[in-house]
Order: sequence, then structure tokens, then C-alpha cells
Amino acid sequence: MRLLIVEDNEELAELLAKGLRTAGYESDTLSSIEEARSVLETTFYAALILDLGLPDGDGLELLRDLRHRNNPIPVLVLTARGGLHDRVHGLRSGADDYLVKPFALEELIARLEAQLRRPGQLLGSSLRIANLEFNTQSRQASIDEQPQVLSARETAVLELLMRSKGRVVSKKQVEDHIYGHSGDVGSNAIEVYVHRLRKQLSDRGAKVLVHTIRGVGYLIAEDK
Amino acid sequence: MPRFQSILSRIVILHIVAVVITSILMSVGLSWLLSYATNNIHNQAMQEQANAVAEHLRIGPDGQLQLNLPSDLLGLYSPEYGRYSYAVIDEHGAVLFSSYKDQSALFPADQRWGEVEFLQQRRGSATVSGASVSKTIGDRTVRVQAGEDLANRDVLTDDIVADFYRDVGWITLPILLVLLITDIAIFRRALRPLREASDIAAEIGPARPGLRLPTKEIPREVRPLVSAVNLGLDRLEEGFKIQRDFTADAAHELRTPLSILRTRIDVLEDTEIREALRHNVEGMAHIVGQLLDIAELDAVAIDPSETADLQSVAAEVAEFVAPLALAQGKDVALSGASEPVWVKGSAEMLSRAIRNLAENAINHTAPGSTVEFVVEDNGKVSVLDQGPGIAEHERKLIFRRFWRRDRRKAGSTGLGLSIVQRIAELHSATITVENRRPNGACFSLQFAPVK
Repeated sequence: MRLLIVEDNEELAELLAKGLRTAGYESDTLSSIEEARSVLETTFYAALILDLGLPDGDGLELLRDLRHRNNPIPVLVLTARGGLHDRVHGLRSGADDYLVKPFALEELIARLEAQLRRPGQLLGSSLRIANLEFNTQSRQASIDEQPQVLSARETAVLELLMRSKGRVVSKKQVEDHIYGHSGDVGSNAIEVYVHRLRKQLSDRGAKVLVHTIRGVGYLIAEDK
Repeated sequence: MPRFQSILSRIVILHIVAVVITSILMSVGLSWLLSYATNNIHNQAMQEQANAVAEHLRIGPDGQLQLNLPSDLLGLYSPEYGRYSYAVIDEHGAVLFSSYKDQSALFPADQRWGEVEFLQQRRGSATVSGASVSKTIGDRTVRVQAGEDLANRDVLTDDIVADFYRDVGWITLPILLVLLITDIAIFRRALRPLREASDIAAEIGPARPGLRLPTKEIPREVRPLVSAVNLGLDRLEEGFKIQRDFTADAAHELRTPLSILRTRIDVLEDTEIREALRHNVEGMAHIVGQLLDIAELDAVAIDPSETADLQSVAAEVAEFVAPLALAQGKDVALSGASEPVWVKGSAEMLSRAIRNLAENAINHTAPGSTVEFVVEDNGKVSVLDQGPGIAEHERKLIFRRFWRRDRRKAGSTGLGLSIVQRIAELHSATITVENRRPNGACFSLQFAPVK
């Protein structure tokens, strides 16, 4: 499994490749949209790490191009532009995720793995925080390698939280995930599921916390 | 010459002067033409009368001229009627026949008489005007004179001339006024593209530097001005672009080496050094980010038509800073409006302002405390913390660039609140700072709600 890094700064590209190799991912580096376009036509990559400011144009052009041709390759965009709304714009152009320079290598790898673990992607389907593991294929949660039995709703909430590790999941996202877009549920119901899940996890000795960000959503993190 | 503020008033005033002069000249001209025409008619009639009298001249058997006027003509020239008169004189000026009792001529004889002469002669209190026609009867040449007493002139013709001003002359004034009104309408219409161009010019600003005045409809006389203004705008836009490009380039040039540094640190083996360097590079990245924000905000302007949902922007920021707060053992909460709150402004800028308030609040509170975002339906967003609050004398200082309460404290640039203030300025929003009881500060931004 290889990754493609498109970054015009050779030093950064080399360092990223080196860092990714340490984490177990081999990668190729290219420095222009034109090169990337022709290489992507013939070679299969598991994911694309794409810098936006390239010498022959904006990386978003390449991204739109790929999505236009229905290429589903996970794309992680790197940019020197910092705004939150720039990020939304990048995601709308078809990026799966977005990192603002300078970023932590750990963060890059975590975001990349989250993409690679999506159904249909190559990486193993196991998500892990501390001693809690979730297999997206079998939809099975384990604590200290012991399979746990959770209700369907609790499982769905846990899956969404684990996929969004390190980020806040809004209450709306949880609703959509459980009921689909049609469901008109009392927001209390979500509170109840999260509360039950939290109790189940702590009762069974999982070293994780499900934080409630009042008025915003939920976030799962290791209990340090 | 008085100075006119507008082209239209200049045109109207000059036009009115022209109308007054024209109507006077036209009346005078018309009345002259009219009296010329009536005189012509009168002369024509007199000449015909003279010819008619001449028809009845004969050479008698005695070799003398005889005049036998029929009764209708005799009536016409009778002294009782008193209007018309005739006389026939020979080449020496001797009167042969005359309708006057004293057998005098209408007009004195003149050697230079031509074929037809039109003459006027005072007779006592009356003025006789008429024609003198030369006629040859047999071997004798005579002049036949016919005249009309002007005091008894044809009533119809007289009335036309006398009543000309009252009956006809006034018509010139309304006609010219209608012309004036039509001209004002035409000029207003002709100036409309200029008014439209003015409306567009009013829209031009840093937020919409790409707007240009239309040259298509503009009258050719004004087009050089409009084109010159457009060229000036091109140069201004270029200046803005250079400034913006510089900021964007600077962001790229600064952030990329920081990324290299950061990644190089991340692949270090030595954990202790790595953590220390990470902390330093993160602080530096924060300062660079804020400096770039400041530079960008100095060059940017808000499109007045842009709107943003304050509620979702606040929720987005809360989501963004929550992991940061949790990592420091602090909590974040959002309350207030649950429906979208639309305000005038750029979502990106609003988000930066709220984010800086939030980061400021998180940095100044102890672990275990909560930073709360409150969005109100009237376009107000507040960030509340449980920190030490802001002393009265510091409330102006905190918005100054690089101002810090504690200069030794790491990780603070003193730029965050000046970014907030600049964004508030750009949006004509008001910032209020209050202390909370028992402790804490509340920063509020009031934006203009969209009706």
C-alpha cells in the first residue's frame, strides 16, 4: 500500500515521507499538479496528501478533477491558509480532511488512518483508543481484547465517536447517523444513548471518556 | 456669468433666455411679415382698380379723352362712400378726371414715373395710399391713379393686423415653453447613464474593487472622464491585489518552513528534547498565524452584501476549540439561540473573531472551569469565562496590539484581542467587556442582524 504526497517543497515532502515510513507507510513524492495528474491516471495509491499551493496551480483544481472523474481516493489536503472557512471550502471541493500548516506529524497520521479505515479502504477496519477497540467491519467493540455486547444504538454512537477521534461530533451528526436525515427525534433521545454508552464503557473498565460539550456535541478521548 | 451647479440648471436657464429672445423676435418678425403681406394685398387691389378705371377711358370724336364709368364704379368712388378715389392725369401733370370734388390728383405728378408706382399721400386729416399706373390710349399716355383712405381701410385686414398679438402672437410663447419642457426631458434622459454610473461608483470600495463604470451608454463627451476613472480604479485594484498577494505569499513562505521544522522535530528520537521543541514551535506557529491574520485584516474589506449565520459560526468555533480546552482540563459550552441567527458580515471573519475570544478565555481560566458561548437572536455573541476578569483601567489597553498583562507568560502574543477589534471595526460591530460575578469576564460582539 503506497501513499502519494504532492508537495512542492522537497524538504517537507522528504520529511513527511520519512515520518510516514516510520509509521509503516511507504510513499512517493511529486511536486506539481501536472505530474500528479498523469501519475494518478496509471498508478493506484491508497491515499493522496495534497498541498494546495503548487507551482502550476491550486491543488483544489486537481482535487475537483479527480472527483469529477469519480476517483474515490481519500484526499488529505495540506494548506498554508488558516481559516476555518477555508477548511469548509476545501472539504466541499471533495477533500476528505484538511490540515493547516504547520501540523503535527501524529495528527497527519491519525487523520490519514481515519480515512484509510473507512469501509472500502485498505487499512484494517479496527479503531482504537487506549484499551477500547472498535472493528468497523464486524461492528464489534472490545475492551482489553474482550468482545462486548452493546445495543445497536449504543454501537452506532460509539462507531461515530471512534471514527471522529480527537474531534467533536455534533448532536446533529449523531442524530443523522442513527436515524438518517428523515428522522425527527427529540434531542433528549441522543442524550439518553450517550449516557447509557458512557455508563456501559465505564462499568466495563474502558479507559476512555465520552465528553459532553454542552450545546455543541460529544467527543471521545482517552481518560488520562 | 453666474456659476451653475448642474448642467441641467445651466441648460434650463440659458434655454429660458433663448426662448424669451426668440419669442420677441418671432412676434416682431411675424407682425412685420403680416403687415408686408397686407400691404401687398392692398397694393395689388389698388393696381387692379386703376386698371379697371383705365378700361373705361376712350378717345372721343373730338380727339379728347373721355371717361365713362359705369354706375357700380361711380358708386364705389362717390364722395359719399368716401373710401376709394381715382384720378387720371396727363403726361404734364394736368388732371383730366378725378373723383374728388376739387378735381385734384391723388398723388403729385413725377417725371420719373415707372409703369406702376405705389404711393402714399396725406390729404387733410386722411392718408390716401394707392397705385399709379401708366396707360397709353391711342397716341396719348396718361397715368391712372387709384387710392384708398387708410382711415377707412378694409376692416378684415385691419383687424388681422391690429389683433395679431392678442389672437396669434401669444401662441409662440406656449409653443416655445413646450419645446423647453421637451428639451429638459431630453437632457434628463441623456444624463441618465451618468446617474446610473454614479450609483455604480457609490458601490465601489475595497470590498468590491472589481466594479467598473459602464462606458457603453455614456455620452461620448463624458466618456473620456469615465474611462480615466476606470483606469484609476484598475491601478487601485492592482495595489490591493499586490497587498493581498503579499499576505498570501507571506503565509505560505512562513508556514512551510515552520511545517518542515515541526515535522523534523516530530521525527526526533529524543523524547524530552522533542517535547520541548514542539512546545516552542507551536508557540511560534501561533504568533505567525496571528501576525498573518493582522496583516490580512489590514488589507481586507467586507463585502456589504455578505451574510453569515452567527449561530452556526459559533457552534463551529466551539467544536474547533473544544478538544483544545479538554486537553487542558477545561470545558466548553454553547447556549442561546438554537435557530440560525443571520447577521451582516463574513463567516470567515466572524469565526476568527469568536475563535480569538475563545482562545483568550481558555488561556485565562483555570482547569475545571467552563468557557461558555452565548448566541442571541438579535445578532449578539458573547464569550464568558471564569477567569480573573478585566480591571477597569485595562479595558482599553487589552485591545492594543502586543499588549499583555503578564509579559513573562508564554504562548500569548497580545494580538488576539486586537484581531477581534479589527474584525469588529470591519463589521461596524460593537465590543463590550464586562466582569461577571463572582469572577470572570464576558466579551460580547454585537453584529448588525439581517432583517
